[in-house]
Amino acid sequence: MAEETHLSATKDIDEKIAWAEINSDVLRSMENPRMGYWLAVVVSICMLMVGVASEVYQYNVGMGPAQLNNPHMWDLYISTFVFWIGMSHSGTLLSAILHLFHADWRKPIYRFAEAMTTFSLMTALVFPIIHLGRVWNMHWVIPYYSDRGIWPNFRSPLVWDAFAITTYLTGSVLFLYIGMIPDLAICRDNAIGWRKRLYTFMSVGWRGDDRQWRNFRKTYLLMACFLIPLAVSVHSIVAADFAMAIMPGWHVTSFPPYFVSGALYSGCAAIITLFVLLRYFFKFEQYMTLPILDKTCKLTFAIAMVWSYLNLIEFASVWYGHDIPAKEVLIAKFTGPYSPFFLGMLFCGSVLPFTLAFEKIRRNPMLLLPISIFLNVGMWLERYMIVAPTLSLAYHPWSWDVMWPGWVEWGIVFGSFGWFGLLFLIFVKVFPSVSMYEVKEMVYHRRRVVYEDAELRAHEYKKGASGASSAAPATEGS
Amino acid sequence: MSLVRNFIEDWSRYRRSIDEGGFHEYEHMWGMVIDLDKCTGCNACSVACYAENNLAVVGEDKFENGQGMHWMRIERYWDEPNIGNERVRDTQEHGASFMPMMCQQCNSATCEPVCPVSAAYHTPDGLNAQIYNRCVGSRYCANNCPYRLRYFNFFSYYEDSWPSPLDMQLNPDITVRDKGVMEKCTFCVQRIRSTKNAAKMEDRQVVDGEVQTACQQTCPTSAIVFGDLLDHESDVHKLWHKHQTRLGTTKQKKDNPELRGYRLYEQLNTEPSVTYLERVRDV
Amino acid sequence: MARKTPKKRLLGLFGDFEQAIKVIIDIRQYEIPGVSVDNITIKSPIEHPEIEEILGDRPCHVSKFTLSGALFGLIFGAFFLAAAQANFLIQPQGGKPVITITSNLVLIYEMLILFGMLATFVGFLFGAGLMRKRSTLDDEMISLDQVGIVIEVEDENIDPVRQLFEKHHVLEIRDRELKDQ
Repeated sequence: MAEETHLSATKDIDEKIAWAEINSDVLRSMENPRMGYWLAVVVSICMLMVGVASEVYQYNVGMGPAQLNNPHMWDLYISTFVFWIGMSHSGTLLSAILHLFHADWRKPIYRFAEAMTTFSLMTALVFPIIHLGRVWNMHWVIPYYSDRGIWPNFRSPLVWDAFAITTYLTGSVLFLYIGMIPDLAICRDNAIGWRKRLYTFMSVGWRGDDRQWRNFRKTYLLMACFLIPLAVSVHSIVAADFAMAIMPGWHVTSFPPYFVSGALYSGCAAIITLFVLLRYFFKFEQYMTLPILDKTCKLTFAIAMVWSYLNLIEFASVWYGHDIPAKEVLIAKFTGPYSPFFLGMLFCGSVLPFTLAFEKIRRNPMLLLPISIFLNVGMWLERYMIVAPTLSLAYHPWSWDVMWPGWVEWGIVFGSFGWFGLLFLIFVKVFPSVSMYEVKEMVYHRRRVVYEDAELRAHEYKKGASGASSAAPATEGS
Repeated sequence: MSLVRNFIEDWSRYRRSIDEGGFHEYEHMWGMVIDLDKCTGCNACSVACYAENNLAVVGEDKFENGQGMHWMRIERYWDEPNIGNERVRDTQEHGASFMPMMCQQCNSATCEPVCPVSAAYHTPDGLNAQIYNRCVGSRYCANNCPYRLRYFNFFSYYEDSWPSPLDMQLNPDITVRDKGVMEKCTFCVQRIRSTKNAAKMEDRQVVDGEVQTACQQTCPTSAIVFGDLLDHESDVHKLWHKHQTRLGTTKQKKDNPELRGYRLYEQLNTEPSVTYLERVRDV
Repeated sequence: MARKTPKKRLLGLFGDFEQAIKVIIDIRQYEIPGVSVDNITIKSPIEHPEIEEILGDRPCHVSKFTLSGALFGLIFGAFFLAAAQANFLIQPQGGKPVITITSNLVLIYEMLILFGMLATFVGFLFGAGLMRKRSTLDDEMISLDQVGIVIEVEDENIDPVRQLFEKHHVLEIRDRELKDQ
């Protein structure tokens, strides 16, 4: 046991894992849900019901009970929307960017990160819809031909949002699905009953031909290349919702990169949370190893520093600029009624990540769970601090106000976590949450490239030293 | 085919409009002058607006929550030394000043481009219109209005705003809005429309003074002047001219320091159509 | 055209990828009659980019789909948005642009990516030969850890292939009559 922990402390993955074991471990995780799983499902459904009940009430009564008022026309809905969109950037980062960089360690953990992308996007999608005063007319934002000669207003950042989110949802679903096809084939070969039918349909006849793999590799690369600029543009467009407005504190040129870095940050933190949970509940210790967790934490730390830097830059450019209302908003954020939230955001977002600088903490899942949750609390506060203070303290002094969200808003925000949790819980039991074929690839490459070569060299070196056959090429391929 | 033709026509129209400068397409350009030195803060304009435009009376609780629907509002400000002074009354002798605020009908309005469904648009009358039927209630326009002059129907106010006999006094020329719709001052567009129609029936131009907004009509000190800025004989145009207030600028330059006339937040380049007459003092 | 001699499809399962590669190298080197490298299909549980060096260049058309999809998205997006704005009954007043190029660029960008991705996916389905009836010559072990080699040979040439397979420790050999194409 001691040896095992020692091994897992240095290698991303143990190359001695048998491939059959990989298959059986992952397939096992998809079957026989335990009591705890059903409990989690029930809790998620209850949370979702709170959200649904709040929305039904709001649908019938209007936006009033949400405590929206004249200066505060947007509030938790939009800030939570931005939060969920931000979470959705994690999967793209892990699968697309790290795929292009050939970072092998992403392989055991990217599947659930991508699923998280898709589901948090589906959660985010709910918010711009339910924040509408007249939800039943939401299809007017979609450009379709109408006899009345009316189209959406293509100049509005909200329409850009609709385009961007549709594209991103399509893209991330396709990316998740394409990357899963070889795994679905494995599931198909091992399943019975309704699962057999489902996986046969979804694996679209994957047989592992060289032709299929060749096209697969090319497709995956191309999708990754599309997904990276897409993810950046999606969050830039979400930032444009604010940056295109003229309000002080919103009209900031650095908002798009600031939002993108914040999105990657919260996404990474959420990956750590789910990493720890999946590792514990599904007993994926062999695949989601501590060195991978370590690397994810390092990445989170780096992104946290980028985010902090962009935060400072924003403060500095406002402080030294001559935009007095923007400066007032900034001062009010630090000293006004919102200051506990704002300082909390700075603490969770910029100070707390320094704990990730210590290797002991980076390899301690029990500590990382609360830390990563608090990082995300900080990121949620960040979005709230973008939306609320500006609306409270915009140009016109007459409308200055402070507000506290109403129960309907809290209910819907609460419900959104249930919705996300439910989708994710269904996912982990229907689809493999660890990429089996890519873990095999990782094991194969380690065994062949690192392990066997080293053994071969050691062997040749010994032979050469003993003088049995000194002519043997000791360093083949070097 | 009409797609392509419209495309080419609109394109050339746009190119032309750049060469010829803005504002030329307007039939009218309704504007306003409010003399702050004449305003006594009596709130009559606000009451008139409630009566004319079927504005919902929301009740004390909702009003305190900031969910009121006062298209025309009198804002009160105090000189700085008197802030927090218990004995200060809202009178001008005690340093209070009044600011009647209604939609400024900006010519490059910030609310228009952000509406996802084009419910906020600009009419050929130079008005900033809100199409209630089209509004989906995204409330982006209100967030982007630096004057905070857009009001949202947070509830179905009509249900209890006008208990039974009171609903008989609703203005039939204008709708009663349901929940989820943004609304704002229209410069009494129903009056403008009926006057324009009457003038058209008689085959003549609209005469200055023929259209009166409800607030202008009610103001006891005649602080509000309303009219067509394109009509060079109109009172409103003369006042703008007299006080050297110009469109298309972000700062009004005056020859004579005695001249008053400024527009609100001109530095944001929203091009409001309302001029306030008051000397701008640097405090 | 008269029927040629009956053909068979042969599947050899190997426990190790290295052995499968050696089979193909042998086929290249010793030229078994009626067998060419182009007729060989390798079925593997994981991706082996290195087999391309042995199998030779085989076409992959996905990127053509991607390019055409992206171009379609670009052109269609530009014209669709411009046409929609030009035919919009509510036109912006006061010398403001009807067709707003700067904001349309954002949407065109999204449409380029959307159609590019959809076309890539369609190209993948076509290129990889998915969603069509498969031959039954397959084994579930391939999705676990075995590597399969499928060779199309005429009946009289089967034996040398079998011998070759066995030389490299094949685990199992199966064959199927190739139906009329």
